[in-house]
Parts: sequence; structure tokens; C-alpha cells
Amino acid sequence: MLAGYALIAIPIFLFLVLQIGAIFYALFISFWNWTIGGGGVETVALANYERILGDRIFHRAIYNTLTYTAVVVPLQMALGLLLAVIVNAKIRGQTFFRGAFYFPAIASSAAITVLFIFIMSPNGFFNGVREILGLNPLFEFLEFGPRHSWLGNQRTAWGSIMALNIWTTSGTMMLFYLASLQTISREVYEAAALDGASAWQTFWRVTFPLLKPGHYFVATVSVIGALQVFDQAYIAGGSNGDPNYSTMSIVLYLYNAAFQQFRLGYAAAVGIILFLIIFSATLIQRRLFGGAPSW
Amino acid sequence: MTATPAPIRPTTPIDVAPVGDRGKVWRRRIAYGFLIAYALLMFVPFAWMVITSFKTQVDAVQMTFIPDPVTLQGWQNALTTLNPNIVRLFINSAIIAGTVTVTNVVLGSMAGYAFARLRFPGREALFILVLGTMMIPDQLRMVPVYQLMRQFGLTVGPLQYVAVILVLAIAAISVFLLRQYFLSIPRDLEEAAKIDGAGFFTTFWRVMLPLATPAIAAVAILQFQGSWNGFFWPLILISDRSQYTLPLGLSFFRQQFQTQYPELMAVSISATIPILVLYLFFQRYFVEGIAASGVKG
Repeated sequence: MLAGYALIAIPIFLFLVLQIGAIFYALFISFWNWTIGGGGVETVALANYERILGDRIFHRAIYNTLTYTAVVVPLQMALGLLLAVIVNAKIRGQTFFRGAFYFPAIASSAAITVLFIFIMSPNGFFNGVREILGLNPLFEFLEFGPRHSWLGNQRTAWGSIMALNIWTTSGTMMLFYLASLQTISREVYEAAALDGASAWQTFWRVTFPLLKPGHYFVATVSVIGALQVFDQAYIAGGSNGDPNYSTMSIVLYLYNAAFQQFRLGYAAAVGIILFLIIFSATLIQRRLFGGAPSW
Repeated sequence: MTATPAPIRPTTPIDVAPVGDRGKVWRRRIAYGFLIAYALLMFVPFAWMVITSFKTQVDAVQMTFIPDPVTLQGWQNALTTLNPNIVRLFINSAIIAGTVTVTNVVLGSMAGYAFARLRFPGREALFILVLGTMMIPDQLRMVPVYQLMRQFGLTVGPLQYVAVILVLAIAAISVFLLRQYFLSIPRDLEEAAKIDGAGFFTTFWRVMLPLATPAIAAVAILQFQGSWNGFFWPLILISDRSQYTLPLGLSFFRQQFQTQYPELMAVSISATIPILVLYLFFQRYFVEGIAASGVKG
């Protein structure tokens, strides 16, 4: 009996202090006017929360994070599913393609973001390639000059970050869908083939509905990830979400409050609000997909 | 066995085309076209990263596919003039990622074994507590964890990376994956060891741990990759430049030297290579780790 406690002691201690304890500590700090170094100056009750909810930059952060989620999640899922279905079919080089698509997801987000910033810069690879391919008239029509700065312009900065993350995470979504596809038995497909269903019909009437647990899981993971977008926004736009707050996300706002303005109480309150947003998003999805999945 | 060409792996083929489907050939062509185009989209940016690291700063913003001239200047600067230089960053990243991997494997297999096999009051409740921590977003913990580490004096001085290691020392997913694996090992093996007179420690060390090698590998890979690439916690807890990790150094240089692309690409490559090498050798475990953390039968 003692052996059991001895074996779990260190992990449980760390979880209690750095996870469970941290939540209560965050809640406590959030009711204070708390500064780095100074500690708790005065209790302010809910004033931090009121100030956050009234702050225009926070509204911008919420708006950016929600548009990001609304755009990135469906595209990520669709792309992940498409890749999974193709890679799962009888094709040559299956292992190679699967490996290649997954690689950006495990490479350093900082390295990939710096690479992306370089590629999308005014004299970068992207602008160069579209010139070589003769696509510039099309971009001209959309009012993008030949040396458009994709991350330096507030009209395109956030959209570029979205594209970056769809690109890097599609491989992860593919793997989740692949695991889910493996659970569908072959007999179902044989039955569909016997009934003379076309490939298109088989996909929409058989595969897609049977993937429901997979959709639920991928959607949940993807939404939680999207609501926490930070690394790429921070590296590309700095802690102020340049240009002109166009890359300001909720987590960036939180980081900014804590480590640029040193308002820890205020930042802790932002953390609590973010947690509530993520928690309700997860509950809503659970409802949408009809209860907890079997796994 | 080595003489035979690598076979195309027959992993659950789903060939759903009904008899006499004329669209089949075209569908295959479109599928291959799409696959190749998408693979290029993955490959070309990384190739451009490597090419640029061998360019001069003037050449870096040109569309030259072969550096003109080929120069090691970017790499040389990254090794010597950057402060902290690549070697320092690399060592810092390796210390953090290496330690975090070891602690997760050691603590995870001990706790995983206890939760799977040992009986003690409160076991289920404690396991639910462990799983519950997976629902807490890191950002909520940002301020309180920083404040705690500050109070312990770990955010100043030479031990800032210790703060990062403490935060990442054990993840719930490591305990969970190892527990599930231990549960799947037949009890007979342990009982046989007991009959042979093996004590608790010997059974765990000589019988159970070797059997759990696949799960240990998956946990190790998952944690190494995560902590090697980790950006969030080092950013918050490490302020001393000489203790920066590769991702932190990259973010710092990017703000300092906006246009020194060859150097920036050299650092980016250094951050990517170890993961690429691991991935080439242990792709299976990368995939298993991620798949096991998600959908389970």
C-alpha cells in the first residue's frame, strides 16, 4: 500500500502545486491589483474583470481569436480529412506521404514562423514565385502590389498567420483521422460496393457519418488549440500584435498584460476568462456531437 | 530479408471503387497530383531555408535557387558573433529537453505502474485528478506559476532553466499512456516472477519495464519533441540570455536582426535538425504517441 503512494508521490505533488494549486492561486490573484515585485497592492474585487471586458484592445483580441478559430478549424479539419482519405487508400509511397505531411507539425513552431516571415516578406519567396508563375495580374486585381508585405500589412497579417497554422497542423489532423478511419470495418465498404454505391456516395453516406467520433475529437482538439494561438502571433507581430493590433490574440493580450505592463492581477483575470471560454466551447461541442463519445 | 525490395505496406486497404467504375483511373491521377503538389508545399519551404543559409545577405532576398556565391558566412556568424551563439542555444535546449524526457519516463512509469497494478485507498480519485490536469490550459497557469517560481528565486540567477524543467517534469499524458500500457500486460507474467522469488522492485525493473518499451519510447519521443520545440514556458521563465533555448533565441534574433536571413535560417535549421533525425528513425513512435493521445478504439 505504501509502495503505491511512494511511486506516485512526486507527480501528485507537482500536479497539486503547479496545476490544481495554480488555478486557485490565479483566481486569488485576479481579485487583486497585483504587480511583479510589489505583490498584492490592494484588493479590487471584480474591477480587473470589469476593466478587461471594457477594454477595446481586449475586444480586438476576442474578435481576432474568434475569427481565427472560425476560419482555421473547418479548413484544418477538411484538409486533414482529405489527406487522411487519400493516404489511407491503396497508393504507392503511402508511408512517405504520411511522413512528409506530418513533419511540419512536429518541427519547432519558432523555426517555422521565422521561415514563414522570411518567405512572406516583401522580397521573399512567395512574392518571387507568383511573379515567375505570372500570377501578378490576379494579385494586382485583388489590390496586392508586387512587393506586398504580407505580415507587415494589417489587411493580410492575421490571414497569413491563419494560413501558416493550417499548413503546419493539417498533418496532425490527418493522423487523427487516419486512426479514426482504421476503426471502420471493411465489411461496411464491401456492403456499400455490393449495393452499387459510387465512391462519392460511399464517402458521404458511409465513411463521413461513421467518422463521427473522429470528427468530435478532431474538432475539440482543434478548437482548443485555435483559442490558444500565441507562438506564431508573438514571433511575427511582437507582444503588441503589430501591425495595429491585427495579430493580437487573447493569449498575447494576457502575456502583454503580465510581462510588458507587469499587471499580474489583471493578467490572471484574463487567464480565468480564457479558461471559461475554452471550457464553454468544449461543452457546446459535446452537445453538438450528442454526448460523450464511447472512448 | 535484406535482399528483397521494400514491400508496399498493405495497411488496411480501402478500395471502395465498385466494379466497372470508369472514373477510377482519373480519380487516381487527381489523387497523385494532389499528393505530390501538397508534398512540394511541405518540402519547398524547408529547401529554401537550407539554400538561404548558404547565401550572402544581398543574395538572400533574390530568387536565386543556387546561392551565388555559396558562402558559409551565415553559419559562421551564427556560431561566433550571435550572442548567445548556436552552440550555447543548442546545449541549453538539449539540457532542458533531455532532462524533461528522463523525468517523464521515470516518474511516468512509476506512477503509471502504481495506477495500473497497485492497490491503495484513493487510487481512482487521484488518477482522475491526474487526468483532470489535462483540461487546464497552460495560459491560465502562466501568472501563478511565474509568481511561484519567482518566490522560489528561480526566475533570476543561473537556475532559470530549472524552473522550466520543474513545470514540464511530468505530464498527465505520460502517466496515462504508461498506465494504459501496463494494464494491457497479462498479470501471469508478474505472478510467474513472484513465484520465482522476485521481489516487488525486481518485478518492476526486470519484468514490467522491459515489456513496456514501446510505451516508454512513445512517451520519450512525445516529451522530447514537445520540450525541444517548447516556446511558451521558456519565454516566460527564462530572462537571462545565456540560458535561452533555440526557439527563444530565434524569436530574439528575429526582433534584433530583422533582415539577417542567412543567420536566421542557420539557427532555424539547428532547431529543426534534431527533430528531423529522430523523426526519420522513430517515425512509428511519433505517430503512436499522437494517435494514442487521441482516438482509441
